Amino acid sequence: MPGSGQSNDRRLGLKASQEVVVVAISVVLFVVFSATLNNFLSQGNIIAILKNVSILGTLAVGMGFVVVGRGIDLTMVAVMVVGVAFSIWISTWGIDFTLAVICGAILVAAIGLFTGVMVAIAEVPPIFATLAIASSVYGSGRIVFASDVLYAPPDIAWLKFVGNGSVLGIPMSVVIFGAVAALMGLFLRKTRFGRLVYATGDNPNAARTTGLPTRPIIVTQYVISALIAFTAGIIMTGLVTGIDTRLYNSSLIYDVLLVVVLGGIGLSGGQGGVRNVIAGTILVGILTNGMTILNFSYTSQNLIKSVILLGALAIDAIINPRDEQTSQSGDI
Amino acid sequence: MKLFKKCLLAGMTALAFLGAAQVASAQETDQVGRAAYIDGVKGKKVIFVPISQGMDLNQAWVMVWQRHAARYGFTLEVRDPNGDTNAGIRAMQGAIAEKPDLIIVQNPDVQTYARLLKQAQAAGIKVLQVNMQSATQTDSYVGNDWIEMGRLEMGELAKHCTGPNAVSHKVVWLAGVQTGAANIYMRTGIDEVLKANPELQLVSDQPADYISEKARQITETVLQQHPDLCGIMGIWDNAEVGAGAAVAAAGKQDQVTIVTNGAGAATGCESIKNGLLDVIFNFNAPIQGEIAAQQISELLQHPDRKAGSEKTIFFGPITRVDKTNATGRNCWKPEDIK
Repeated sequence: MPGSGQSNDRRLGLKASQEVVVVAISVVLFVVFSATLNNFLSQGNIIAILKNVSILGTLAVGMGFVVVGRGIDLTMVAVMVVGVAFSIWISTWGIDFTLAVICGAILVAAIGLFTGVMVAIAEVPPIFATLAIASSVYGSGRIVFASDVLYAPPDIAWLKFVGNGSVLGIPMSVVIFGAVAALMGLFLRKTRFGRLVYATGDNPNAARTTGLPTRPIIVTQYVISALIAFTAGIIMTGLVTGIDTRLYNSSLIYDVLLVVVLGGIGLSGGQGGVRNVIAGTILVGILTNGMTILNFSYTSQNLIKSVILLGALAIDAIINPRDEQTSQSGDI
Repeated sequence: MKLFKKCLLAGMTALAFLGAAQVASAQETDQVGRAAYIDGVKGKKVIFVPISQGMDLNQAWVMVWQRHAARYGFTLEVRDPNGDTNAGIRAMQGAIAEKPDLIIVQNPDVQTYARLLKQAQAAGIKVLQVNMQSATQTDSYVGNDWIEMGRLEMGELAKHCTGPNAVSHKVVWLAGVQTGAANIYMRTGIDEVLKANPELQLVSDQPADYISEKARQITETVLQQHPDLCGIMGIWDNAEVGAGAAVAAAGKQDQVTIVTNGAGAATGCESIKNGLLDVIFNFNAPIQGEIAAQQISELLQHPDRKAGSEKTIFFGPITRVDKTNATGRNCWKPEDIK
């Protein structure tokens, strides 16, 4: 697993273990569901699990990227719904939808740039900066669009392909999630920029003192996470023919954060990677799928989900007790 | 000269008569009761606390009410909590403190505002509930007969999913928010139909939270378990397009019947034409808004009547809309109402 240096051995151990715990729980659930539920192990259901977590997973890859750099991006859901809604809105003026999507991407990148500048240069703590920006972005969208639900034009071939197409039997939404995750994994592990993100996240002051361009790195992170959020929004629009801006009011952003933390990317930054995000995403996917098949009520689903997630964190805390050094950098 | 004087006199007399006639005719054409009506509603203050103004039905209602308010001189203020229950409670408390003549409320669930509505009535404020009821009954409720709605939707599925030609007897209920009035009462109607048709098999009962992507995910999972699924019923057309997308992705549009309800907006008709939905029980939000406007006038005209002393209920129209009649007034656009 990628880390920022040799001094991180202890943290590497902690993170790997949490990931192992999560993977182990996923495997146990998978075996139990496969043994007890009809059709759980079918190819169709496995694809359905992946398809159902593709949006959550894509968002979590973007969030993980920011968290590795010791940031947090609570604007992701707001940027996702408003970016796509903006594209659909301007396409109703008669602008070609593809061009409208490009305009939406530019808008989203600009929002990401602004967030990055607020965090990196104005030095507003990321949790407050992104919380405030999320609210303003959603609020502006809410005023401009009037309706919560915006439908994309019905005859856009590529958008239909994103929603219903498949490559080698794998749905496009999963392919896009896989591609975003793979690109991010390679980027973090193989490029110099990726290593700099770890360095910045591990110890921003040391990184800066050694002459690393920490501010541009942080700004770039927020731009990329905004664009990834936009990509997730396009997947959603392809899947359900429109975008529902009320998602901003749902617990989606916390689910995204949960997947990241659960997978083992510490909020203190500098540790973890895409593999952790995938581990967390798959656990949530298996759990939700099994409970939907079992037709558990909403309340009991939430209860079981919280208990299992809390259990994962508790097991990790027992296996890897925190000492002064590991807790020094602290959670938020 | 004499002739001129005579003419002048005649002219003046004629004018005087004409004037008198005009005064008389003005008195005769004053519509009976109109002055009293305008006097009753003019300058009154109405506050509306919705669930969220972003929904199509809310936009239709407020457009209709604003038109009435502008024409007859009462004020309508919308305090939009935008789906946030806590903000809604604050909006309600604020509204009660301002002592308006009437509060209109769309309840997010049956409990949250129950005590606040009692407080409002005790403070002498009349309360009109629209479409989503509270456990507390107030002066008036205008909206859907949700039990009937549940009966109609499950009844529609019973037509397709019982008997020897049905693909199976398996049906799904994609709920909204489980504590909401629509959900609770629809469930009563559903249970009645299920009892009358014991062969119907309810294989999944999950809330999609009025969100299309969630409806899509549940439907996709359920279709894996029950590839021979016969029907799906839901609670809002804008959410069930997600179920339609999952059914379309599985290539089962001919097999699975999707029934839902909606405000009757053109977007719902588009979804029927795209094959994402089969039947929408359309409760025509603009007409609902007009019925509520009648109630607003009624409640404002009788300030002497004590708040909560008379309780009335008005159920709005429900039209079954499918491919054959997804046109005209069954598919309104916001600009049509203005």
